[in-house]
Amino acid sequence: MRRLLLILALALLTGAPVSAQQPEAAQRPAPDVAADLPAGVAEERITVSSTYGGSSITVFGVNPDRRGRGDIVVVLRGPNEAATVMRKRRVFGLWVNGDPVHFSEAPSFFAVLSNRALRDIASPQSIWLYQLDPAASAQLASAVPAGGDPSAYRAALVHLRREQGLYQWYSRPPREGVRDGLTTYPGGLFRAVIRLPANAPIAQYRADTYLFRDGRLISRQQIPITVSRIGIERTIHDLATRVSWLYGIVTVLLALAAGWVAALVFRRP
Amino acid sequence: MIYLPIAEMPVNVLLVLLVSGAVGFVSGLVGVGGGFIMTPALIFMGVPAPVAVATGASQIAATSFSGIMTQTRRRSVDWRMGLLLSIGGMIGSIGGVALFEQLLRLGQLDLIVSLLYLLLLSSVGFLMMRESYRFWRGRPPKSVSILRRPLKTVAHTLPFRLRFPRSGLYISILPPLGLGFSIGALAAVMGIGGGFILIPAMIYLLRMPTNVVVGTSQLQVLVIASLIVVLQSAATKTVDLVLALLLMVGGVVGAQIGARIGAGMKAEYIRGVLGALLMVASIKFLFDLVIVPEQPYVLGGGTW
Repeated sequence: MRRLLLILALALLTGAPVSAQQPEAAQRPAPDVAADLPAGVAEERITVSSTYGGSSITVFGVNPDRRGRGDIVVVLRGPNEAATVMRKRRVFGLWVNGDPVHFSEAPSFFAVLSNRALRDIASPQSIWLYQLDPAASAQLASAVPAGGDPSAYRAALVHLRREQGLYQWYSRPPREGVRDGLTTYPGGLFRAVIRLPANAPIAQYRADTYLFRDGRLISRQQIPITVSRIGIERTIHDLATRVSWLYGIVTVLLALAAGWVAALVFRRP
Repeated sequence: MIYLPIAEMPVNVLLVLLVSGAVGFVSGLVGVGGGFIMTPALIFMGVPAPVAVATGASQIAATSFSGIMTQTRRRSVDWRMGLLLSIGGMIGSIGGVALFEQLLRLGQLDLIVSLLYLLLLSSVGFLMMRESYRFWRGRPPKSVSILRRPLKTVAHTLPFRLRFPRSGLYISILPPLGLGFSIGALAAVMGIGGGFILIPAMIYLLRMPTNVVVGTSQLQVLVIASLIVVLQSAATKTVDLVLALLLMVGGVVGAQIGARIGAGMKAEYIRGVLGALLMVASIKFLFDLVIVPEQPYVLGGGTW
């Protein structure tokens, strides 16, 4: 607790994470809300090396309301990407993927943390407006096939991503011995810990912190977080994407070398 | 644990080495390439299907190259035939990689690959078990039945005939080209070497002598697998170098140990056991295709 306060104090003094940034993906008109919620992250850069097995992101801050009114909501978002959801159909007794529905964008990662159920904190309009639900950011790009229900496709996308650990919900304070979730401390201090699974995309994330009171947004803050490869992971990935032909040839040469060494070592008399 | 840079997932190094070693061991024991066990094994471990198929090819290249080195020393590679098969195979694998890319985009890769595996594993498993059963019952081995069949096949009557001194054949170049083409296309889509289809086809269709069949098929498998690795790297960017290295080490060592132990055992019994295993695996594929799915919706894009 004391250490956390110290980190927070340092972060506030240097002022680095508290940069007032306008939301970049303002597709829908959002009313102007002061971006002055004091918040920061413990790690703005997460590096993926050969020993990477997932990570966790800590967002901390202070409720600016002196009397501690209102509810804090923390959302960690990965970049929006196109996605496809298909429905299984039976063709000649076999289950076949059919009826594809394309989403022009859907969050590749989404975690929302609050102290109580989100619908008790923010109005349905606010949840949709500030995209506090991944389904709110999923943009349909194609017509839904005959007999299909668009909301069912949307729900399926959310359900499947949730099963992969890419969409997470925390709506109550973490239990004893568990760090993941939103914890509030006396004095308005809060801490949100989000588990970033190893299958989460390597990309630019953003952590949004919101203060709601009586269903309305009072204050917000946005902090970018970078997840990037380093070392050999980075070298291999860069080679594979930039000089893909050469990369393929090198892989083949390595395969030949491995086969050659094996044939020599295990040579029969 | 090690994080795979292309598959974007952590895997247990020991587990991968163990699995690839076991697959290599079985392939050395039975005398098949093992790609058709390796690729499903990788997918079962959670590696995305496109990465498994593309990366598996590099392990096939390593195994077949070490095989060719041994076979060349025994002078049992028909280079001319191998070259023809390879040319057909190269055209086939270019088509196969393009098809793979297209299926991936349509979200139908999993269906096609599952169907192909179902057909392949059940038929190969059945043939292996039958052969083993016949041996157990004391029926004559199949080499006798080859002699009883007419020596001339369609390969002897088609035009563009060419002499193959090492195999002692004078046949049309069309069947080897066509055979190479089909194996190349299958290999690209399924992540297999194709040796276990190629070898029977060379014996029964082309009437090649059995002593040059293994080495020559390995030459074709090597050329195709190498080409597939390069093409997949460029087209789908799904070759994982770290995973490839692990598979090569495990597969190559396992294959050599398997070959040693296999030399002292009755091949027919081993094949019977493997055939039974393949049948079980194919039943699993059938079930997945036929039973009502728990989850009616799936995410598109190469999930198996």
